[in-house]
Amino acid sequence: MEKIKKIILNIFADAVFEEKDKLTVTVDPQKLHELIKTLHDNEELPFDYLVYLIGMDWGEQLGVIYLLSSSQDTSKEIVVKTGTSDRENPLLYSITDLYETAHLNEREVYAMYGIRFINNPDMRRFLINDDWVGFPLRKDYDANPEINPVSVVSKDIIDTAPRIMETPDGLKEEVVNIFEADDYIINIGPQHPSTHGVMHFRTALDGEIVKKIDIHSGYIHRGIEKLSESLTYPQILHFTDRLDYLSANINRHALCMCVEKAVGIEVPMRAQYIRTIMDELNRISSHLLAWSAQTNDLGATTAFIYGMREREIILDIFDKTCGGRLIINQNVIGGVMFDIYADFQKDVKAFIPYMREKLREYDRFFSHNVIALGRMVNIGNLSKEDAVSYAVTGPAGRASGWSCDVRKYQPYALYDKVEFKEVIRAEGDSYARYMNRLDEIEESLKIIEQLIDNIPDGDFLAKTKAVIKLPEGEYFQGVEAGKGLFGVYIESRGEKTPYRLKFRSPSMALVSVMPLICKNEKISDFIGIGGSMDYVIPDIDR
Amino acid sequence: MRTFKQYTTDLFGGIKSLLTGLSVTWKELWTKKVTRQYPENRDMLVISDRFRAELVMPHDENNEHACTACGICEMNCPNGTIQVITKMTETEDGKKKKELDRYIYDLGMCTFCNLCVITCPSSAIKFTNHFENATFTRHKLVQQLNHEGSKLGVKKKEPTSSRPSPKEKEKSL
Amino acid sequence: MFQSYSQPLEFTNLTSWLDAALRENLPEFWAVFIELALVGVVLLAAYAVLAMILIYVERKITAFFQARIGPNRVGKYGIFQTVADVLKILIKEIIQINKVDKFLFYAAPFFMIVASVLTFGAIPFGKSLQAVDFNIGVFYVTAVSSLGIIGVLLAGWSSNNKYSMIGAMRSGAQFVSYELSAGFALMTMVVLSGTMQFSEMIENQAYCWNIFNGHISSLVAFVIYLISGHAETNRGPFDLPEAESELTAGYHTEYSGLQFGFFYLAEYLNMFIIASIAATVFLGGWMPLQISGWEGFNQLMWYIPSYIWFFGKVGVLIFLSLWVRWSFPRLRIDQLLNLEWKYLLPINLVNILVMVILVLTGLTLTDLF
Repeated sequence: MEKIKKIILNIFADAVFEEKDKLTVTVDPQKLHELIKTLHDNEELPFDYLVYLIGMDWGEQLGVIYLLSSSQDTSKEIVVKTGTSDRENPLLYSITDLYETAHLNEREVYAMYGIRFINNPDMRRFLINDDWVGFPLRKDYDANPEINPVSVVSKDIIDTAPRIMETPDGLKEEVVNIFEADDYIINIGPQHPSTHGVMHFRTALDGEIVKKIDIHSGYIHRGIEKLSESLTYPQILHFTDRLDYLSANINRHALCMCVEKAVGIEVPMRAQYIRTIMDELNRISSHLLAWSAQTNDLGATTAFIYGMREREIILDIFDKTCGGRLIINQNVIGGVMFDIYADFQKDVKAFIPYMREKLREYDRFFSHNVIALGRMVNIGNLSKEDAVSYAVTGPAGRASGWSCDVRKYQPYALYDKVEFKEVIRAEGDSYARYMNRLDEIEESLKIIEQLIDNIPDGDFLAKTKAVIKLPEGEYFQGVEAGKGLFGVYIESRGEKTPYRLKFRSPSMALVSVMPLICKNEKISDFIGIGGSMDYVIPDIDR
Repeated sequence: MRTFKQYTTDLFGGIKSLLTGLSVTWKELWTKKVTRQYPENRDMLVISDRFRAELVMPHDENNEHACTACGICEMNCPNGTIQVITKMTETEDGKKKKELDRYIYDLGMCTFCNLCVITCPSSAIKFTNHFENATFTRHKLVQQLNHEGSKLGVKKKEPTSSRPSPKEKEKSL
Repeated sequence: MFQSYSQPLEFTNLTSWLDAALRENLPEFWAVFIELALVGVVLLAAYAVLAMILIYVERKITAFFQARIGPNRVGKYGIFQTVADVLKILIKEIIQINKVDKFLFYAAPFFMIVASVLTFGAIPFGKSLQAVDFNIGVFYVTAVSSLGIIGVLLAGWSSNNKYSMIGAMRSGAQFVSYELSAGFALMTMVVLSGTMQFSEMIENQAYCWNIFNGHISSLVAFVIYLISGHAETNRGPFDLPEAESELTAGYHTEYSGLQFGFFYLAEYLNMFIIASIAATVFLGGWMPLQISGWEGFNQLMWYIPSYIWFFGKVGVLIFLSLWVRWSFPRLRIDQLLNLEWKYLLPINLVNILVMVILVLTGLTLTDLF
């Protein structure tokens, strides 16, 4: 990383470095694009993976924090910050031309902070309506409900997008049409059986073929990041379960670890074991649901019910361990809320061979079915370059040949002590994603097998202070959730509530890549590809 | 001829995979069904002890509870589910004392995060697994947890200010 | 008289008694008129009752495939579930939709139901239990059953809904393609039996069902007929016109109440019709299993009434259709057409040729033995 620092200093002499956990560099907004381009094109270690794009309101300044990483080694990270003091009309340069994933993230930052990005091809607000008054995540936001009353009138969707482009004669504001005049547009969602939640795809069709997709989201946006700014850390925990509810425990693990690291709490070994086992059980249940939903999207209702049947056993184990089935509230800061119950090991050990047998059944039933193959093989191809550019992590990213498992690159909990294979396939089609999930279930079973008999005695919860205050600073923590990298970013000013909390949701990346991989596929395959990406909407609509 | 060969292998390979699929459903046709017949199975229904369905305040046989009306649960609740309403009473020796008047719990708001229970210094509240909480109107979900005429029980041991270790909590549950 | 002893449960006795009684007491015209009216009423009643039974059976069997137990609340084992459903559908409001082509929108379900009732009438349910017995029965059935597609297309077009429209267009393409295969498969059997009349076809199969008679060629035709019949009824894995995970409910997205009920009913009846035609043409219809030479065995078989034979055979075929439906994922439209035009149709054309050769060279089972 010293080398990188030197490279940056060579070109940008005025860049300000901060010595922190991660290499942090602050630059002038005019030089931001150039700096990031240098990092992106760096030959030795290209920083071609944009992990976080975080909007910030530092009080005086509005700005953006970028966490860049390399697709070759996702443990190498660099933080870039930039900001502008213009609160009336803040403008920054877009990096959408370098990272496709920046597109939706910049739109979200615009919606939340009002920062517009020059050269972003489509500068509509993401997640909230265009006529929303004020920018919710700004510190001076007026939350008075009378300013933004609940509308009972149905609004027409306007398919035009404003943008600011840089031209030789200065900045030019313009409005572009998203669709062509005579496009046959159908609304897939927000109420549709196969969008896996209230997602809205405006889809232009040419007969059965998908021409263009425009993503609308935010129908269940709850403002969790805003809410969190007024809650204490233990209170925020219950939100994490409600992001990607299928990886509830894993998400919660991320926030717990982030706080524990910041405060310096040593988590007892027993808790680490329980956390890892529960995480893997959670992953299996998430993948089982993904499998079920995908088969259901392809029209095999029976398979859906088989998957749900097996998942039920895991939910029963959760239920007995911590009194919840989906939203399980198991992790707390310093350990876990409940110790395992007496028969936990017995139940889990009975589940492992049962699940293996069922995996074989799934294989026989669906994985080699000629119709299923026809609906998945070579459908929705996602190349590795695109996967990295769109920051598609998780089973979907690994199906494109990108080794991006957080458990391997930045091991947490007990993942450095257990042996497991990172399942990677190179095809990048629906079938690779489908098979990856089934194989990952098997790997998860292996991890559980290695841990289940060795749970040490001892405390399952470390003693913590009654009021947890994080020391001033910025904290990042990523975990491998069911759908990919789930990240937490906390900026603390030393109080018991965070100054800024950002959740990096894997599903947003999965959805953002849909227009690319569904282009020129049939509408039936659009549904099938959606199933293979396995996104969860509350994860996007934080 | 190679294409014809491919055509036939495609055809028969496809048919074989379909038959395999059929054999799986045939087997499943005869396996035990997993449906559980609620409410017929209410008597046999096993809900795990830890299942969080509803917050209650246990009272002993003398109609006494353990709530000191300190309000820590109310403070810790992330979304204002709990409302502790206190009253001032005078003890025999003339001292003024804060006492619980009404403990209001809104089941409709509760996210079952268990923060109130783990932070309660006197273990006065707990979650039970009585899950049949459906009502026809929302206001019925707002409950008063302390019984009518109940009062603070005399504790064997004064609760310390720090929260009890979860292990003890576990036992008291 | 011999028949009433040997086949005590046949309807023939009842019908001939009724016929005689009516003719004795009334002039010929009125006798025929009343008989026709009776047949009409009985057919319509049978139509509704059969659909209800089928819906119940399907839901139950589906549940068993899916590790569930299915309807079990209304009556013992939920047997009155469909009765309750029908009552519900009858009293449901028919939602008036503003931007539809009103006339076509309301006419569409009738096309569906009329087409399937017309076909229903030509099915031989048992010995002399057939409303119309044309000498071109097979041809008639193929012709009227394809009227149903008009209903689907109209429904999709008139609903003024993009999902419905896509569903209807898919349905059109699918129906036209698979009609071809179904027709060819039936023609193969017409070549074998040398007649188009259902009653005659059944008589021909008294000792050797067509499916055995034409061995290889018949078997291929049978499988093809089942596949294309399945596709014609728009049931999974060929349920693209509905495709609930893609098009919400396809062509009947906008329908509600009784109108939706018509589509629903017709779907199940079409399944029954396809199965009964397959049973009649390939499996000897209501004809009991008989083996020439084994007189005692044959007599025993005849004690089982012909309609039981018929419904038994149809039941097996319907079970097969359900089994397939609940095992496979849905095809995509281009795969669906590929299956028809690249696999079924060429095989079918070769098959019909093989059958002609078999018949001409006397290689069918009845010719051989």
